[in-house]
Amino acid sequence: MKRQLIQLAVALALIAAILAGLEVGVRSGFLKAYQFPPASRIARGFVEITTTGFPTGISIWSHTLTTIVRILEGYIGALVLAIPLGLLIGAVGVLDKMTAPIVVFCRSIATLSLLPLVIVWFGAGELTKAVLIGYGCFWTMLSNVIAGVKYVDPVLVRAGRSFGLSGTELYRTVVFPAALPRIFAGARMALGVGFMVIVGAEMIGTIEGLGALIMEARSFYRSEITIIGMLVIGVLGFVISSGLAAAERIMLPWSTDLEGIRR
Amino acid sequence: MGARETTAADDAATGPAERAPARAAAPIIEISHVSKTFEARHGDGLEVLRDIDLVIGEKEFVSLVGRSGCGKTTLLNIIAGLEAASSGEVRISGRPVRGPGQGQGVVFQQHALFPWLTALDNVAFGARNQNLDKAGKRDRARELLRLVGLEDAAAKYPRELSGGMQQRVAIARALALDPEILLMDEPFGALDEMTRLELQQELLRIWAVRRKTVVFVTHSIEEALVLSDRVVLLAAHPGRVSRDLAVTLARPRSRTDPRFAALHEEIWEGLSS
Repeated sequence: MKRQLIQLAVALALIAAILAGLEVGVRSGFLKAYQFPPASRIARGFVEITTTGFPTGISIWSHTLTTIVRILEGYIGALVLAIPLGLLIGAVGVLDKMTAPIVVFCRSIATLSLLPLVIVWFGAGELTKAVLIGYGCFWTMLSNVIAGVKYVDPVLVRAGRSFGLSGTELYRTVVFPAALPRIFAGARMALGVGFMVIVGAEMIGTIEGLGALIMEARSFYRSEITIIGMLVIGVLGFVISSGLAAAERIMLPWSTDLEGIRR
Repeated sequence: MGARETTAADDAATGPAERAPARAAAPIIEISHVSKTFEARHGDGLEVLRDIDLVIGEKEFVSLVGRSGCGKTTLLNIIAGLEAASSGEVRISGRPVRGPGQGQGVVFQQHALFPWLTALDNVAFGARNQNLDKAGKRDRARELLRLVGLEDAAAKYPRELSGGMQQRVAIARALALDPEILLMDEPFGALDEMTRLELQQELLRIWAVRRKTVVFVTHSIEEALVLSDRVVLLAAHPGRVSRDLAVTLARPRSRTDPRFAALHEEIWEGLSS
């Protein structure tokens, strides 16, 4: 207990020291404020962005809301497609063999490299952003669902068979529930992918959203705004991910998957 | 091969292993000329069992003992209908085994409980093919949990139970099927020594109440001797029956009984030769 307190104090002291160093460095003219925005500037930027907004008129709240909506659109769309498809592919060995190269190939493509193509197909509007986020989430989710079904503990399958189960009944009562922890893990990973893609997806055709905010700030040399954008994305990711973990603990109280993982 | 042989010990009047008396019990499992070869992608494949002949009587407690690789688990899986023999046939009550659900209940080594079901629902799962409504299945499950001494753990998930408790639930789950035959694949193999001894006694107690035919796979000679009416030794590479010994000592059996020790010695020699 005492040891933990000391560790915490040291960690906080370290952060305080870095912030103080930046502050001193900038005030003495040693560092440039737009390269290393000090805490005082970030605080002022935060006041500005919550009151007048940046760019003028758009507050941090509406940036955040816009981003949440875009991520959820892409993410939920991806889940709705990937879960049934993965459940099917994982169950049918032939399908799995046929689709494996495609899944690995598509999953390996950096989502943002598709940006030019997606713009050509869907324009520079909202749909493009949802599609990009959805693309990233989809392949992560799909490969996890397939693996979840495919690598169900064979002992459980044998136990199910020993009670005379086979075919779709075996799948429904044994394979599917056994795959759920992996499916949930996939959903958490896919959400992480969504957050990685969002900044890039908001780089074009919009001035709203946290990604757009970060890019806009850059053109005005407002690095402190960029940092605020990053912080909000971080907090948002943390909150939503904790929400998913909490949902998993409620929905799968039997799972041992979350023990030791609390993020 | 695999025929009943007369051993030196049998000839002595005080011999620990009296030859199996002409069994009064009707045969329930008849294994005839069962062989199993696992196909390999290249080469000849792996011959796991060769020409197994074995008859197990109703309500008999038979242990299959042998080194790893002797195919004892494979043989159990074939009786369970979970694997098919490459040649030969297993009959249960005269009917050839075509798959599971012909009166075989299986207890696996470990971790075969469904982790998403509570202890009660795991046992009720075993009763799924009985002609019972949901409440009836649960009543039956509760009764079986009481039989294995776990009525208080009904609402717990497997991850909240110790290894020994998990195997008790697994036994209750297999019994819920109301099988004629209980097939047990090293069910206590992964448990610590104390728990294993406890569960052996527990199994004997349950067996006394719910008299089933039991086929029990183990690599522990002692475990086989404590539990069974008959110990069948399998030799390895390929698996085949090398000995078939009746154990007529009265239960509960004492490990310090000289006759127990003599049988242990005999089996040990049979396995080493």
